[in-house]
Amino acid sequence: MTQLAGSQARPQRDARGTWQERLLTWRTAVRLGWAVESNWADPVLFLIYSIAKPIASVLMLVVMLQVISNGAASTADLGFVIVGSALWAFVMGGIAGLAWSILDDRERYRMLRYLAILPGSLSVILLGRGTARLLIAGMGSVITLVVACLITGVPIDIGRIDWIMLLVCMAIGLVAVIALGTLMAAVCMQTRQDSWSYPEAVAGALFLLVGAVFPIVVLPQVVQWVGLLMPLTWWIEGIRRAVLPDAASGIGGVGSVWTDVTGTLAPDQGVILVVSMATTAMATLVAFGGYRWSERRARERGLLDRTTGS
Amino acid sequence: MSAPAAPATPSSIDDLPPAIEVRGVRRVYKAKPNPVTALDGVDLDVAPGELFGLLGPNGAGKTTLIKILTTLLLPTDGTARVFGFDVARQTTEIRRIMNIVSGGEQSGYGLLQVREQLWMFSQFYGIPVREGWRRVDELIDAVGLQEQRHQKISSLSTGQRQKLNLARGLMNDPWILFLDEPTLGLDVSAARVVRDLVRGWQAAVPGRTILLTSHYMAEVDELCDRLAIVDHGRILALGTPTELKQRVSAGSIFRLVLDALEGGVEPIAALPGVERAVLAADDATAPDGQTVAVNLQLTDDAVLGSVITALAAQDAHIVALQKSEPTLEDVFVELVGRGFGDAPEGDR
Ligand SMILES: Nc1ncnc2c1ncn2[C@@H]1O[C@H](COP(=O)(O)OP(=O)(O)OP(=O)(O)O)[C@@H](O)[C@H]1O
Ligand SMILES: [Mg+2]
Repeated sequence: MTQLAGSQARPQRDARGTWQERLLTWRTAVRLGWAVESNWADPVLFLIYSIAKPIASVLMLVVMLQVISNGAASTADLGFVIVGSALWAFVMGGIAGLAWSILDDRERYRMLRYLAILPGSLSVILLGRGTARLLIAGMGSVITLVVACLITGVPIDIGRIDWIMLLVCMAIGLVAVIALGTLMAAVCMQTRQDSWSYPEAVAGALFLLVGAVFPIVVLPQVVQWVGLLMPLTWWIEGIRRAVLPDAASGIGGVGSVWTDVTGTLAPDQGVILVVSMATTAMATLVAFGGYRWSERRARERGLLDRTTGS
Repeated sequence: MSAPAAPATPSSIDDLPPAIEVRGVRRVYKAKPNPVTALDGVDLDVAPGELFGLLGPNGAGKTTLIKILTTLLLPTDGTARVFGFDVARQTTEIRRIMNIVSGGEQSGYGLLQVREQLWMFSQFYGIPVREGWRRVDELIDAVGLQEQRHQKISSLSTGQRQKLNLARGLMNDPWILFLDEPTLGLDVSAARVVRDLVRGWQAAVPGRTILLTSHYMAEVDELCDRLAIVDHGRILALGTPTELKQRVSAGSIFRLVLDALEGGVEPIAALPGVERAVLAADDATAPDGQTVAVNLQLTDDAVLGSVITALAAQDAHIVALQKSEPTLEDVFVELVGRGFGDAPEGDR
């Protein structure tokens, strides 16, 4: 038997929590997430969950829109719905992916305690664990968008896409989705096992608030305010403008809170970018604080290594 | 204070702070009908290089203390330090130099192979890639999982999972290793492998420290330099196994194996000259449940006569009778006032 004499595993011991160390922790967690979630890479499952499901729900919305409008919906209207709901696959995957990594590791694999006692921070590990799902969801969103446009004949004019706007919005949106996912993970750290459905329920509720498939002007005034404070509202609007310059605005319009307050019918691109950065920064702060509070409370109550029954 | 930079060497052990320093730790859980006081004012010092045992019945608070020391749980009151680092505030420093292995667990990423999961942890601990693989294989050899190295974790047996868990626990070559019932659910030979490995690992480098909990008195007696007996969140006694056994008042200690004991031990315990009569816990003689083992402590050998008479009256027949030295179990019974065998099942 090996003696396991000391000294071999000690090299990194005295390195403090550096960015390099965080990056290594994150990268390892991404690999772990990918390996553990590797059935997602199974082509059939990937097709069903990440593509067929979102495409089906987009098409369902399109059909409903056609029925309601007696077949008179314009391609601009269809594009509005398609972009909003294709992006939603990404939101769903991002929020649920992060929150589920807590539940998976605690309830299913029972490894959360061993991750929690690692010198690297648990939040970085959870972020890494959720990244695989985020990536897959992102791919699903893009494919859904393309396929849905082809099927419904909504023309996306590559030449008219505002690439800079698109990239900037994607980056901001990524941060916003991670912030919301982190917040959801903080909630799931506190709750019991049956919270598997919370992330999707919350994402579903948000879907109605942020103008993903209809302009938020149709919502009651108070709810419009909530929608306007959500970073996702601005992110979706920004992407929509970048991809489909002719689509209607999801924000503003006669009688809307936005128009009442600002006197403009719809925000222009600059406003969209600024507000989406501001709301995303706010969401990130809230998520950061919420997560810190949650981890602290979990240590106070001994929640990190309990399993709530399975 | 920064993390200790160099591994402990014989010359530096004396300069190290205490491996464990617990002062007035209380822990109250907010439970449904009433709050549970799991730890009720614990003070404990463990020196670097010690193999220290915590012995106590279910629900005594052993796991709670380990969770506090491993930064998974905060104490309600009091302070605890591991190698000088405060468990409430200096978690990163502590996490670098400690690890924990719990027994009887079903943990593991089922889809991964044994080698893959260990490698992930080598990376989480910041070991360079090539060295990480080397370390993984070394640990796999050490715990005896060579044949399972490419097996999926979901297909491992309980004992194999436990060995894997131990390999993970040694990955960062900790200064202090917390073992919470590490041999729970293992067969005799697997338990032996784990015990030998743990002891060998500890002996290999001066300063390596272990805190072990166990229900097996013999295991604690065999392994530990010192131990504490805990019950209801308090430390009742503390010392080397020999010291503790010497505490048991003189007299004669017998182990009686009976074919049956319908009337229970109470009538015997009530006899004059019988200081104690309890059902034995580590009932190695009665794996089939056909016999009953009773530990007796008498003021004098002569009292045995009246015990035998009383047993005959109860229609209990003696299968074996052995005069014995005091064991940790006798110490436990004397301190706690009940045997391990009749300890009420605590909530886990
Ligand atoms: N999360 C919790 N919530 C409420 N009560 C708890 C919790 N964890 C432990 N307890 C209670 O705290 C007490 C001590 O538990 P602990 O797990 O520390 O005991 P133990 O000595 O490890 O027991 P065992 O030998 O059964 O493992 C028990 O009464 C238990 O019911
Ligand atoms: Mg325990």
